[in-house]
Amino acid sequence: MKLAWRNLSNDRMRFVVTIIGIAFATFLMIFQGSLFTGFVRASSKVIDASGAELWVVPRGISCVEFGSPLPQRFRELALGVPGVASVRRLAAGYVSYQKTSGQRESVFLLGADPGNGKLPVPLLSAESGAVLTETLLVDESNADKLEVATLPLAVEVNRQRANVGGIINGFGSFLGAPYVFTGYRDAVRYVGLGAEETMFLMIQVAPGSDVETVRQALSSRLPQADVVTRSEFAFRSQFFWVVKTGAGGALLTAGLLGFVVGLVIVSQNIYATTMENLEEFATLKAIGAPANFVRGVVLQQALISGAAGALIGLLATFPLVQLTLRFISWIYTPWWLPLGMIVVSLLMCALASVVSIRKVIAIEPGRVFRA
Amino acid sequence: MLNTAELKTSRTTGPLVELVKKSFTGRLQSPIAQQEMLEVQNVSVEYGTGRAMAYALEDVSVAFSPGKLTLLMGPSGSGKTTLLSVLGCLVTPNRGSVRVLGNDIAGWSESAKTELRREKIGYVFQAFRLFRALTAMENILLAMELSGRTGRQAREAAEAALLAVGLESKGHLLPKEMSGGEKQRVAIARALINDPPIILADEPTASLDSKSGNQVAELLLGLAEQQNRLVVVVSHDNRWLPLCHRKVVLQNGCLIGDDVTRNTTGKLGTGRLVRPSGALAA
Repeated sequence: MKLAWRNLSNDRMRFVVTIIGIAFATFLMIFQGSLFTGFVRASSKVIDASGAELWVVPRGISCVEFGSPLPQRFRELALGVPGVASVRRLAAGYVSYQKTSGQRESVFLLGADPGNGKLPVPLLSAESGAVLTETLLVDESNADKLEVATLPLAVEVNRQRANVGGIINGFGSFLGAPYVFTGYRDAVRYVGLGAEETMFLMIQVAPGSDVETVRQALSSRLPQADVVTRSEFAFRSQFFWVVKTGAGGALLTAGLLGFVVGLVIVSQNIYATTMENLEEFATLKAIGAPANFVRGVVLQQALISGAAGALIGLLATFPLVQLTLRFISWIYTPWWLPLGMIVVSLLMCALASVVSIRKVIAIEPGRVFRA
Repeated sequence: MLNTAELKTSRTTGPLVELVKKSFTGRLQSPIAQQEMLEVQNVSVEYGTGRAMAYALEDVSVAFSPGKLTLLMGPSGSGKTTLLSVLGCLVTPNRGSVRVLGNDIAGWSESAKTELRREKIGYVFQAFRLFRALTAMENILLAMELSGRTGRQAREAAEAALLAVGLESKGHLLPKEMSGGEKQRVAIARALINDPPIILADEPTASLDSKSGNQVAELLLGLAEQQNRLVVVVSHDNRWLPLCHRKVVLQNGCLIGDDVTRNTTGKLGTGRLVRPSGALAA
C-alpha cells in the first residue's frame, strides 16, 4: 500500500488530474443516474401515488398521460365483482390553461375521486372529504410558470372558469406540460369527456381478498379493458416513457456515456501513471517481487485513485443536484445510487488497471541492467 | 542479523569495510560455500530471428566461486550485461545451462526464479534503481517486505544496514535528495538486506565520483573477502583491475579471457577511465 500511495503522491499533478477525471466521471454517472431515476420515478408517479391495488385501463393504454375513454358503466360492473372494496375514477387530459397575464399554457389536468392514496384532490377539509369545485392544485415547481403568485387565483381552463386553490409538491412534471390536479367531476368537464365516459378506474381490494383472484374476476367481467396491478401499470408506464419514447433512452445513454467517458479518462490516467513507473516495476520484478505483489501495487494505485475521485465526485454531486432541483423538479437521487456509483467507480478503476497490469507483468526484468 | 548497537560502536572506530565485515556476519557456512556457486555452461543468447538474428552471448561457459570479486569486462556490446542478466536469472538463455547454488534452473517456473532472485541474489545497478517515491529506509524495508520480513525487527535491520553503509542519518531522504554515491550505497544496502550469497553489480561506480566510487568498491570488496560472498562486477573501468581477484573478458558475445589477477590493494586504481572499443587494455 505504501509503494502504491507513494507512487501516486510522488507525482501530485498527475494524481490530481487522475482524481479530477474520476471525480468528474463519478459525478457524471450519479447526476445522469439521478436524471434517469427521477425520470423513471416521475413517469409512474401518478400511478404509484394512487394507492389502488388494481387499475382498469383502456385496452393497450400504456400510461395515464395518453389515456382514452372507458364506458362509465364499467365502474358499476367492477363494483359488482366479489372482493372489490371501492372503485374510484380518474379523468385526465391535456387542456389549455390561461394565465393571469392572458397567455395560454398547455397543462396536463388530472381529476380523481377522493380517497386515492396520495393523489392530490382539492378538498374542503380532510375530515369531510368534500371536494372543492372548480378548484385547481398546482405543483410548487410549476407555480412560477403558471403565474401563481397568490391564492386563490382566478384562471381559465379550456375557456372555463377555475381557481388555483392550493400548492402541492412532489408532482413536478417530466412532460414539459405541468401537472394540474382537480376534482373528478371538474376534470370530466374540463377535459370534455361524455356523460357516460370515464378514463381509468382505481380498484381497492377488500381486506382479506386475494388481489390476483380479484384481478382475474375483473378481467372476466371487463374483457374490453386491461386490468393490471398498480406495479404492472407503473412498469408499463415507465417502459413507455423510457423505452418507447426514447426520452429515457437518451438519459440512459447519457448515463452510460458518462461511464464510458469516465472509464476512458480513468484508464488513460492509470495507464500513464503505471507507464511512468514501468522501470520501477521492472526493478520490483528483478529484486524478486512476486507477480501478485506487482499486480497488487498497480491495483492499489487504481483503487486509491478511484476512492479519492469517487468521494470528491460524490461530494460535488449533492449541491449540484440541489441546484438542479430548481430547474428539474423531478430529478431524484435515491440513497443507493451514490453508493452504487462509488462501487461502479472502483470497479471502473480496477477494470482500467487491468491493461496496465498486463503491461507490467509482461515487462522483462532483465531491462533493469540497461542504464 | 545486523546489530545496531555494535555497529554504532564500530562506526566510530573503524573504516567502512570493518563495518560491513561486522554487520553482515554468518555468511556461507553451508557445504556449498567453497564450491562453484554460480555457473553457466555453453550458454547462448540470441536476439532477433532469421537473417537479423545475432548472438548477444555465444557458447559461453564460466563459473564463479565465493570469496572472490570477479570483474567482467569487455567493450560495449560484448555481452557483459547479458551475461550478468543470465547469471542473475533475469534472462533465460536460448541454449546452455545455468546453475545457481548447485541447482540447474532450466525448467524452473517464473515464480521459482523470482524467489531465487529474492532470496539468493543481490543486485546493484548502474542507475541505482531506487524507488524514487520511497525514502532510503523505505527502499530497504521494501526489499525486506518482499522476503516477508516486516515490523520492528525489520526496521532495526534496515537502520543497521544504513549504518553499515554510512548513511544512518539519511534514512529519511528520498533518492532525489541524495548524491549518486549515497544512492548507490543505499542500493547496496538494499541488495544485502536479505543476506544473499551472490552479489551482481552492473557498472556500480560508473555514475559516481572518485571518492564515492572508492567507497562502493571498498564495500563490494569487503563483501567478497570478509564475508565470503560471490561478487561479480561488470565494468568498463580499468580502475577496478587492482581490486578484483579475477578478470573475465568478453568480446562479441564470446569469452576471450579469464585471468586470475592478484592480491588486491583494496582501492580502485588511479588509471583513467577507459572505454575500450576493441580488446581491453590491462
